[in-house]
Amino acid sequence: MVTRINIGPVHPSTHGVLRMVADIDGDTVVNVEPHIGFLHRGVEKLVETRMYMQSPVYMEKLDYVAPLSYDEIYVAAVEKAMGVEVKERAMYVRTILLELQRIASHLLWLGTMANDVGQFFTMFMWCFKDRDLVLRLLEEASGARMFYVNMRIGGLIRDLPPGFDERTIEVLGYLEKRIKKYEDYLEKNPIFVDRFKGVGVVSREMAIELGLTGPVLRGSGVSYDVRKDNPYYIYDKLNFEPQKRSEGDCFARYRVRMLEMKESIRLVKEALRNIPEGDALGMQIRLILPSAKSKIVCVSRELPRGECLMYMVSDPQRPYRLSIRAPTFINLAALSSIVKGCRTADIFAILGSLDIVMGDVDR
Amino acid sequence: MLTGSVLVAAWFVSNLLLLSGTAADAFDVFVYAVAVSLLIIAFDYLFGWVERKTIAKIQKRHGSTYVGKYGILQNLADFVKLLSKEHSVPRNADKALFLITIPLMLSLSLFLIFLLPFSPGIVESNIGLGMLVVFVLLSFLPLIIFSNGFSSGNKFAAISAQRSVVMLISYEIPLILVLASVGALANSYNIAGIIGAQSQWWFVLMMPIGFVVFFIAMLAEMERPPFDMREADSELIAGWLTDVSAPYYTLALFLDYTRMFLGSLLIAILFFGGWNGPMLPPIFWLLLKTFLISFFIVIVRATTVRMRVDRLLRFGWVWLLPLSVLNLIVTYILFIG
Repeated sequence: MVTRINIGPVHPSTHGVLRMVADIDGDTVVNVEPHIGFLHRGVEKLVETRMYMQSPVYMEKLDYVAPLSYDEIYVAAVEKAMGVEVKERAMYVRTILLELQRIASHLLWLGTMANDVGQFFTMFMWCFKDRDLVLRLLEEASGARMFYVNMRIGGLIRDLPPGFDERTIEVLGYLEKRIKKYEDYLEKNPIFVDRFKGVGVVSREMAIELGLTGPVLRGSGVSYDVRKDNPYYIYDKLNFEPQKRSEGDCFARYRVRMLEMKESIRLVKEALRNIPEGDALGMQIRLILPSAKSKIVCVSRELPRGECLMYMVSDPQRPYRLSIRAPTFINLAALSSIVKGCRTADIFAILGSLDIVMGDVDR
Repeated sequence: MLTGSVLVAAWFVSNLLLLSGTAADAFDVFVYAVAVSLLIIAFDYLFGWVERKTIAKIQKRHGSTYVGKYGILQNLADFVKLLSKEHSVPRNADKALFLITIPLMLSLSLFLIFLLPFSPGIVESNIGLGMLVVFVLLSFLPLIIFSNGFSSGNKFAAISAQRSVVMLISYEIPLILVLASVGALANSYNIAGIIGAQSQWWFVLMMPIGFVVFFIAMLAEMERPPFDMREADSELIAGWLTDVSAPYYTLALFLDYTRMFLGSLLIAILFFGGWNGPMLPPIFWLLLKTFLISFFIVIVRATTVRMRVDRLLRFGWVWLLPLSVLNLIVTYILFIG
């Protein structure tokens, strides 16, 4: 007999306000249908009524776990519309901040994912504490802890503070040790491995067909990373390889994210070594003239959760129309095809491994 | 309600003991039962605080600090707050069954503790087959959870009830088999007899495999992580407690720690020599061992990931059952045969 249960929108592990209607036969999942839209704020429409640099604040609230990356992609779209080049040093600083943001975001994911498979908040607390160190660095750079609004057209609101690189190297060294510890802790736990290995398998073909991006796609053995395949800023100068695993299960996605954190640490260190002297400041907001061309711009970035496309039809002063391809929206859409045939408890493990943020899904 | 459960359990135990002819005076037994209940409630309360603080330490937090010295009154504050909440019964629930099950479970757990002696001097109920009685009654707990989950009319609770039955069939047989080997080794199912047989060597040293199987099965019995699938909070919200409102939830919290006390007490009696220990009074040793075992269970809670229920079934039949049989055979060959 198939039972229909309603999970959410208020539920301990739906990461916000996701509602799922699950049809369960005994302990086997027949179908799961995500219902979204509880956090819809109409941001894409909202920015049409704002001048260009009034909108980054709205953009950041889309993905409240990695706000800086949305800030950056929006500003990059505006820069492209206005035809402004980013300063050399600002490129380095942006890369460093984005990678730090990626580490912070993945750390939060690690904690919540462990919670979803029934860890009693231990991993969550440890990861939060470590994430706080990264947030402190971002705070030094931008002046805010959560919503940075750090990017300006052509550069940043301010340059990196003095002593930033030493402190960053110190924090990164500590994080490397911690990540190693977390890996040991989780991968030597047979129950955790059992919960994740072979669960929620997404084949290579299925991943491409569903349009998955980011760690979820790379966990299925597709080596697609916007940073490598369509490089922006200084990623083509840096020495790195997109991490991938071929199994396509939850454990592969977990491994990809862990490896990405290590890769990001390496990237930040390398960028800090090669950072040129000079000016990183962007245009002051009040000095921006209504000088954008009326054209269609499309910017693609590798966000911590996958590829984001910002498609903008520009007007001189404000976006005429803005459309966002939110990575978690597409990844969440794959949920109902992945969970078929899994156990009830696996719904939450798979959801945790997809790493959704409802602000980004609902926009 | 708490007092009610205590009194019902005490009344049961005094009647039972009178009927079985092991106790002389019903009033004595009653007083003993109430005293033990107070001890258990004190343990529940203090251990609730210890658990909060220990998990906080593991998670690099402070834990409760604000109410009382080192936050020791925080649980009392929570308790009072829960009691002040509204009590409601869901419309779909089978009201009588839904309301009776949690007090019944608490009474049953207390009753089981009354059957266990605390020191050679304090043996109110020295029943010949005491250990068997305890385990027969213990296996009723999952069934009561099942009826509570089904009667609440909530789908999450119903799933939890199904899981309860699956868990019951996965660990109950290994548990009884280990108990059988303990009985064979001690040549007695009398609790004082089992403890007496351990005056030289603790059973944990004589049959380590049996201890591991028993400990794992007891974790499942006590609903502690990694086997807390019944109230899996990240999946089933609160499992069979989802629709239980505040006053009964308070009782369920007491029940949780009472069951933990019971489980640790059983492990201490069966494997760690019960009240055997040098110098200090026997009851102190028994309580110390119980406390240390409970403490270990809390550390397990803070570090493991929840198992999946079908995996537990597999684990029970593929690992626990053969291991418990192996333990029985090895014990027989080495120490008895």
